[in-house]
Amino acid sequence: MDAVRKAATLLLLPLPLLAPPAAADDREAPAPAVVQAGDAPGTRQGGTPGDPWEPMNRRVFAFNEGVDRWFLEPVATGWDRAVPEVAQRSIGNFFDNLAMPIRLANEILQAKPWRAYETLWRIAINTVGGVGGLFDPASHFQVYESDEDLGQTLGYWGVPSGPYWVVPLLGPSSPRDATGLAVGSTVSIVAFFVPIPLYVTAPTTAVDVVNDRAASLETIRAEREAAFDFYTAVRSAYTQYRENRVRDRADDEDDEDDGDDDEDLYYLDEEDGDE
Amino acid sequence: MSDPRVRAARWAALACALLWLPGGALADEVAPGEAQAVIEKTVDEVLAILRDPARDAKTRRAALEDLATDRFDFRTMARLVLARSWKELSVPQQEEFVEQFQSYLANDYGNRIERYDQEQVEVMGARVEPRGDVTVKTKIVGGENSGALVDYRMRKQGVDWRIIDVVIEGISLVANFRDQFRDVMGREGPVSLIERLKEKNAAPAAGA
Repeated sequence: MDAVRKAATLLLLPLPLLAPPAAADDREAPAPAVVQAGDAPGTRQGGTPGDPWEPMNRRVFAFNEGVDRWFLEPVATGWDRAVPEVAQRSIGNFFDNLAMPIRLANEILQAKPWRAYETLWRIAINTVGGVGGLFDPASHFQVYESDEDLGQTLGYWGVPSGPYWVVPLLGPSSPRDATGLAVGSTVSIVAFFVPIPLYVTAPTTAVDVVNDRAASLETIRAEREAAFDFYTAVRSAYTQYRENRVRDRADDEDDEDDGDDDEDLYYLDEEDGDE
Repeated sequence: MSDPRVRAARWAALACALLWLPGGALADEVAPGEAQAVIEKTVDEVLAILRDPARDAKTRRAALEDLATDRFDFRTMARLVLARSWKELSVPQQEEFVEQFQSYLANDYGNRIERYDQEQVEVMGARVEPRGDVTVKTKIVGGENSGALVDYRMRKQGVDWRIIDVVIEGISLVANFRDQFRDVMGREGPVSLIERLKEKNAAPAAGA
């Protein structure tokens, strides 16, 4: 009963925002309320992700950056110093393994039996041989982890991502992917089936988040430094990354279509592109 | 996606392929192999530099940047990154932009590569793109980013195949910078863009 209500709220929360992206006029970013049912499902316009909610997104992004700088990053740095690398990796593995059933479900929902089979093996190997998921022997046997989530499943079935959306505390997303995130976060799923009280799930989630952040201290610092406009850099990377994920990383299919999308990225046609 | 021109081009390509199968197949085989060989060689060279105990941080860095300058086609990258805005720059500005962007990328590339010293790179194959570029596919094995896919887009310049884009897990470096620079160009114009590049390059913060 309670669980059903929880699921319903989780699901419905971002759904009203699932309108397809407005045929955005680059500079004049309309407020979210003005977004109309446009037609184009892709958010790329001449290689740029449209960002109709940019003013709002930038504010939220700045807020998230503040939280990260003043809270999450220092905590993660402390964690990184206090917890040995091996333990960090094991904790990461543990949460990865917990998340596997969700990925399995998404692989099935995306009609990918072979991958689902492989993930099933992965769960079995790592839960038994990896002592409850603390270690990752499956990777040694070339049984690699896949990374399907509900956002990708929705994309697979043609749900448009909607406009780029920076979610408070959670970061870059889109209405579609945020739906997936809300439903798919490891602990929320476990808590959904097993009645675990909040004072247990909250700290576990915190550990997962901090541990994750600690794994990318270097990378994020470097990216912040390298970027011109970190907001735009992240938006561009996120949009490309998600599109690629939904399309399923080029190696899985022979990507005839792939090249065509790229042509306007690699040739400036006005000045006869060769050279 | 379903641009009729694209479809027409595809049919044309298919027709050509069927008509000229032997010739076409031959030409295709030669090209991607060459490009792939360049990447394979570069990977070996990078690893050799990273593992050379005789080098200190400084000479290692210099060697990496030299190698980058040799293998990347920074001029093409600079133009692609600016896209339409390229023409808004005067010729001296273009020169300056290429120069600054090149040292920026070489520096950035050096930073990134230095963080990847435990990884192996597996070259998985190459694919010919519709207009003659070649994409060489690689995968990182080992380390934090094990399994990550890195594609190199190559274009033939004279006799050499040069890298014109690096695509990491679907994230294209060219597209990423194009998005960032478009913002700066739109808001502040070319002079400011070049200024900011210079500032970045002058900043000592970059890495070790």
